[in-house]
Amino acid sequence: MNQVVVHPERCVGCMQCMLACATAHSQSGTLFGATLEQPLPKSRIHVGAGRFNEGFPNRCRHCDPAPCQAACLAGAINRVANTGTVMINPDRCINCASCAMACPYGVIRFHEDPLGPPNRQIAVKCDNCSSRVVRGLIPACVEVCKTGTLTWETVDDAMRRKNREVSRAMSSGGPGQPAVPDGVALLKTIKQAELEIGER
Amino acid sequence: MFDPKISLSVTTDGDPLYAKARKDGIETVWERHEAQQPQCGFCDMGLSCRICVMGPCRVDPFGEGPQTGVCGADADIIVARNLCRMIAAGAASHSDHGRDLVEVLAGVAEGSAIGYKIRDEAKLKRVAAEYGITTDGKEVLTIAGELADAMMEDYGMRRKAIQLVDRAPQKRRAVWEKFNLTPRGIDRETSEMMHRTHMGVDNNWVTLLLQGMRNALSDGWGGSMIATEVSDILFGVPAPRPTTVNAGVLKADQVNIVVHGHNPVVSEMVSLACQSKKLLDLAAKKGAKGINLVGVCCTGNELLMRRGIAMAGNHLMTELILSTGAVDMMIVDYQCIMPSIGKVASCYHTKMISTSDKAQFPQMEHIEFHPGNAEKKAAEVVRTAVENFTNRKGTPFIPVEPQAAVGGFSVETILGALGGTPEPLIDAIKAGKIRGAVGIVGCNNPKIKHDYGHVTLTRRLIENDILVVDTGCVSVATAKAGFKLPEAAAMAGPGLQEICKALGIPPVLHMGSCVDNVRILVLVSALADALGVDISDLPVAGSAPEWYSEKAVTIGTYFVASGVTTHLGPMPPITGSMNVVKLLTEGLGDVVGATFAVEPDPEKAAIFLRQTIEDKRKALGLDSRNVA
Repeated sequence: MNQVVVHPERCVGCMQCMLACATAHSQSGTLFGATLEQPLPKSRIHVGAGRFNEGFPNRCRHCDPAPCQAACLAGAINRVANTGTVMINPDRCINCASCAMACPYGVIRFHEDPLGPPNRQIAVKCDNCSSRVVRGLIPACVEVCKTGTLTWETVDDAMRRKNREVSRAMSSGGPGQPAVPDGVALLKTIKQAELEIGER
Repeated sequence: MFDPKISLSVTTDGDPLYAKARKDGIETVWERHEAQQPQCGFCDMGLSCRICVMGPCRVDPFGEGPQTGVCGADADIIVARNLCRMIAAGAASHSDHGRDLVEVLAGVAEGSAIGYKIRDEAKLKRVAAEYGITTDGKEVLTIAGELADAMMEDYGMRRKAIQLVDRAPQKRRAVWEKFNLTPRGIDRETSEMMHRTHMGVDNNWVTLLLQGMRNALSDGWGGSMIATEVSDILFGVPAPRPTTVNAGVLKADQVNIVVHGHNPVVSEMVSLACQSKKLLDLAAKKGAKGINLVGVCCTGNELLMRRGIAMAGNHLMTELILSTGAVDMMIVDYQCIMPSIGKVASCYHTKMISTSDKAQFPQMEHIEFHPGNAEKKAAEVVRTAVENFTNRKGTPFIPVEPQAAVGGFSVETILGALGGTPEPLIDAIKAGKIRGAVGIVGCNNPKIKHDYGHVTLTRRLIENDILVVDTGCVSVATAKAGFKLPEAAAMAGPGLQEICKALGIPPVLHMGSCVDNVRILVLVSALADALGVDISDLPVAGSAPEWYSEKAVTIGTYFVASGVTTHLGPMPPITGSMNVVKLLTEGLGDVVGATFAVEPDPEKAAIFLRQTIEDKRKALGLDSRNVA
């Protein structure tokens, strides 16, 4: 089963995934159109800043068992059997925020949503782009990610790939392959130094 | 990560004023910088391109996603084009500032620039002679008109080379000729830079960067140099004067007017209006003990250099200065004026006035100054400021006492202090009492703790017998740290201390605003000529520990292209191309005899700069040390 896998070491913090997510969950389906809608569609993926201001694309992990589902007394949260996606039913949500209290990742937001009931705040989170996937598309965040931070594959495939990369990096003899390209490593070193001297 | 509880500034007034701003609910540059995190890595690495509308494009630095833009430009080309456009913007800014001064000079000659005059006829004649204008028996205003005309030609395409490159040592000019770096016209090089970076023009990242250097030189030895020279002609050649710095220069019992920006054309007229008897009487009637004119940023430096006017702060202090509630009016011209400050001022009684026909800002009143009306407008706005004194809300918060400093070291006065020639300075360098000199220049940047880079680097260099000259926002930082008094010689190493005491100068010399970086070029040329060597042979270096602006990219580039190895604190957006990084940090050494180096930590940068100087000493056959 394919899912969105996050490779955080590759995130450059460009926030393209956030724009694509909001657009995918708009009524118009276009970026410009989405910015003119009322209510404004909002991203379900949240790029945060790490200790060294590196990006991290934080999104619903669709946990199993899902703490949010267990905490939802209204029964608004359920899991789609064949995809494993944890979904919030906007019509059943009572905006109590119990799911938010339970969520270990902090990826649930509360606002009026273009695809939810009008004039009412509800809990909103990643739905794995279900409506795109049934049309044969991949999730919008993965589609726009140019650095390979977000991939659409089975976790096993992702782990096998990573295993190969780690194994090659660990093998002795011959020129080692750097974990990240030189330019990326250089920029990271500079950013770390800037922050480190600020704490003196 | 950003934590407002951590100290944001090494200055004594920065943290208390930041706390005051927070208490007053003001959003500052630090909060906005935090809100931008994480900043886009494509942009940070120079890998995004917005030049044409087949794009926008970006290149994946991890090698899996797209490796070229729609047009086919790869990472090297995209990074080089982006950097070159920064250089063009920086050159355009400083050179356009120079153009405004040439217009005033022409206006004075015609009699249309009311209130302006030629304050230094000797300098006018010296510069006119360089332009081949005969001065004997001519009226001063005739010379001024001919000089303005000749300088206007420097901006165009009628010359093979701009005039003031002749000030560079012969060996340096030969390097520029060899690599086709001699700037032909000030605007021409900027225009050509923009042309070359248009889609489908120059797609060789090396030749792009070479044009970037020629463009930067057109500013350093052209537009910026003209700005400084004409300012000296119109407003006087700076000479050492005592002054004071930090937020304590604001006075609770006086009308406080702060000038902010870069161009002395406006601030000089405001300065005159502040001395008007009529307006001083009005201030007294309003209960104020006087009219206190102070500066922030470079227009303040211009006034400090020539009039000893006090400086309230540098770039990152501009919002905090307003949070004192003591500023009755801030008058801005252009460059480095954060569009946020109108909103900050709206929390207090402060009136905000924009003055330039090319720079308007939210929540400011626009009162346009031109050479023909500046005298009248200056009197008008100062009157409004005085009337605003009685509108103050509560007691101003001025957390510090002012720090004394000495500024105003033009090349003329430095050479004057040395007895008319650079020989005494050269002798001190040869004897090893002074190991060398570093020009520390540039801005503030919220990425670096406020003034930490400037103050730490300066301290380490003077401790190790390296003379520091500075300009722009650095000069405010080091003055606030107390380095700009003759007594500060005690903080210097034994050799530098001896020289400073003998000459009665501080170990850190304030050479002016950011266009005045050209004074450093003129000074190093004088040293090189006296030794019969190229600038790149001298034991000197440059540094911009907290730079942020496009102008700083241009300045750094004209320093390096002139043979001065230059350290940068923050990383320019070039890490997307290690080819560009290697060329700028290593390869340029074979071309212009100088390179860039990037190091945010000023402690490490000090070691790099000291070693650079020691290596140059060794090559000159002088005694040298191993620093690292």
